[in-house]
Amino acid sequence: MTDVHRTIDAVWKLESAKIIAGLARMVNDVGLAEELAQDALVAALEQWPGSGVPDNPGAWLTTAAKRRAIDHIRRSQRAERKHEQLAHELERQQDPEPPVESEQDDVLRLMFISCHPVLPTEARVALTLRLLGGLTAAEIARAFLADEPAITRRIAQAKRTLAEERVPFELPDGAEPAGRLSSVLEVIYLIFNEGYSATSGDDLMRPGLCLEALRLGRLLAELAPYEAEVHGLVALMEIQASRSAARTGPSGEPVQLHEQNRGRWDQLLIRRGFAAMLRAREVGGAPGPYVLQAAIAVCHARARTAEETDWARIAALYDTLVRLVPTPVVQLNRAVAVGMARGPQAGLALVDLLADDPALRDYHLLPSVRGDLLLRAGRHEEARREFERAASLTRNDAERVFLRRRADEITGEIGGEAAGDTLGRAARAFLDRDDLDAATVRSYGQTLRRLCLALGEGAPLASVTSEQVARVFAAAWGGAAARTWNRHRSAVRSFCVWASLGDLAAGLDRRAETRSPVKGIDPARLEALWSRADVPLRERTLWRLLHESAAGVRTVLSLNVEHLDLEDRRARVGGAWVSWRSGTARLLPQLVAGRARGPVFLADRRPGPSRTPREADLCPETGRRRLSYERAEYLFKQATRPLDPAGDGYTLRQLRTCR
Amino acid sequence: MRYLMMSKVTDTTPEPDERLYAEMAKFVEELSAAGVLLATGGLEPGGVRVTSRGDEITVTDGPFAEAKEAVAGFALIEVRSREEAIEFTRRFRGIVGDGETVIQQVFGP
Repeated sequence: MTDVHRTIDAVWKLESAKIIAGLARMVNDVGLAEELAQDALVAALEQWPGSGVPDNPGAWLTTAAKRRAIDHIRRSQRAERKHEQLAHELERQQDPEPPVESEQDDVLRLMFISCHPVLPTEARVALTLRLLGGLTAAEIARAFLADEPAITRRIAQAKRTLAEERVPFELPDGAEPAGRLSSVLEVIYLIFNEGYSATSGDDLMRPGLCLEALRLGRLLAELAPYEAEVHGLVALMEIQASRSAARTGPSGEPVQLHEQNRGRWDQLLIRRGFAAMLRAREVGGAPGPYVLQAAIAVCHARARTAEETDWARIAALYDTLVRLVPTPVVQLNRAVAVGMARGPQAGLALVDLLADDPALRDYHLLPSVRGDLLLRAGRHEEARREFERAASLTRNDAERVFLRRRADEITGEIGGEAAGDTLGRAARAFLDRDDLDAATVRSYGQTLRRLCLALGEGAPLASVTSEQVARVFAAAWGGAAARTWNRHRSAVRSFCVWASLGDLAAGLDRRAETRSPVKGIDPARLEALWSRADVPLRERTLWRLLHESAAGVRTVLSLNVEHLDLEDRRARVGGAWVSWRSGTARLLPQLVAGRARGPVFLADRRPGPSRTPREADLCPETGRRRLSYERAEYLFKQATRPLDPAGDGYTLRQLRTCR
Repeated sequence: MRYLMMSKVTDTTPEPDERLYAEMAKFVEELSAAGVLLATGGLEPGGVRVTSRGDEITVTDGPFAEAKEAVAGFALIEVRSREEAIEFTRRFRGIVGDGETVIQQVFGP
């Protein structure tokens, strides 16, 4: 980048939120506003290198963007006189500088919209960084270790959803604000945490994201000063950020709070945190989750040495917090505080209540906290195994090294490995045999990997009990389909026979494999699906047909062109009738145009030379094969992922039931 | 990253008036709102100078002959890039008129 480009980038990051927010108010469409603002940015990139950076680059961009918005309104609604007037008004509005309050309200609106509940969380995060932080898709992708096209798609989809759902450019009112505000706070804190405790990759922190979140939080505190929770979040982030220099050691390994060099805590940020906390208190009201967490952070920040920490107060704050936010993670933190305030036994009692929680089954801090408490309680061998488990669960490289070291330190103390074979070694040997085919190894491997993660690779094989296995099963696959459960169960039984162990599957009942009822798709979401313009004809026809006919997916995919009776909107296949209605009737003739025989739904490609399908599955005209259930299912899942509140996407079977 | 902005007055620096105070207040408010301004303040002219040479430490009261070279105010800002720091400094200079500001990155917290 040249100097001018860097300057443009800096100015853009400072001004884009205000510009986009102002435009969004004019055109009432956030996506369009962003595009118009981008046009202004492009103009700057073209002109400034030649003409030099203008004296007031922010104002230049704002004016250029507004001119584009007015052009756009004129162009798209030239016929309508009303809009012509609107454009005039907008032009008149443009001359005097807009009052600061309205500008700030616009930015606040933009923040609420970027974090709107119709969007999946990931999209909220990306859109917020994009619209409020002025980050490019590449920068967001880098920060989240994602690939750029994925982020670009996520942002485009989010803008489309906002437009389709007709989310107005307004501040929430009525009963809405509390929930809407907490969504904004959640997104900011998520960005902060992604920067503060990077969940993956080899760096423990990505400071850029922390700074971005801090700025968003500070901005929000100015825009919505009457909300205690906003100040609470800012206080929490300022104080946590104050420890960033102290929380990693020379080689990037994490340093725990009580071992940190408090001299390296950033007093400036701590003071800012205290100040934000005071503002939260001034606003008053019952403390919410962020104010409580900030109060806990304040307790730590106040203690000049780790020994001076007021654990009794922290434990009491957690007691309150856990009532508001009874999540497993908060409960785990509470266990740590209680362990410090009231002794390791009290802490262990709380941690053990969490051991079976499915939400924590892959959470490395659970075994890590348990290891700490066990160590303090003098149960060294158990502690070592917990640290090893924690190390195998974390996705962060620096943390893994650190946890391994903690386990090794204990090994040193108690003198060598435990006698006998370990679960991990036995599992590897079991899977390493020649007499298993690849599919079985893959399937057994899933089961044993889960057992190793949950019980620790280093656990002595002889010490594993059927109760432990039953608990792992309940946490990992308690909610899974019966077939899945039974598959894992038979893997354990097979392993036990091979290793000459007692029946570790004794506590696991074989489950009856019945099909669970399929849940339909919400009609409003289905409407959104039908109105999508980017879906290919084949998919649109298949989905409509499934929906309107309620026929089985395999039946519909087995349809041939010669089966179809387009006139009467029905087809005869395998002795049964499949019939449809107007939606399919509009699409089907286009799909089969020019074909007299062969599968109705065809794969995109011809089959490879090594895979010759049955004659009946080939199209005599194109040589392509019948669309497979797997492929059709995959495409549907992909396409409906944005619609599904759970983010998983729907299955084709759901389509036929939601009538 | 953090930058320290240190501003000096020169012979042609205008005396502050109502308008300047108002514009500065707005600017400071804007910077705080953007989460950029961490700390700021004006500095007394003169001050005290403490010099060490060998084992000897000398304390001298101001004002000093080269007073016009002295820093009159500072701001500690948190920004994403050097260019952002420069942009804020440009805006600041646009408000206060003649004079100069030096910006330097602050390493570590």
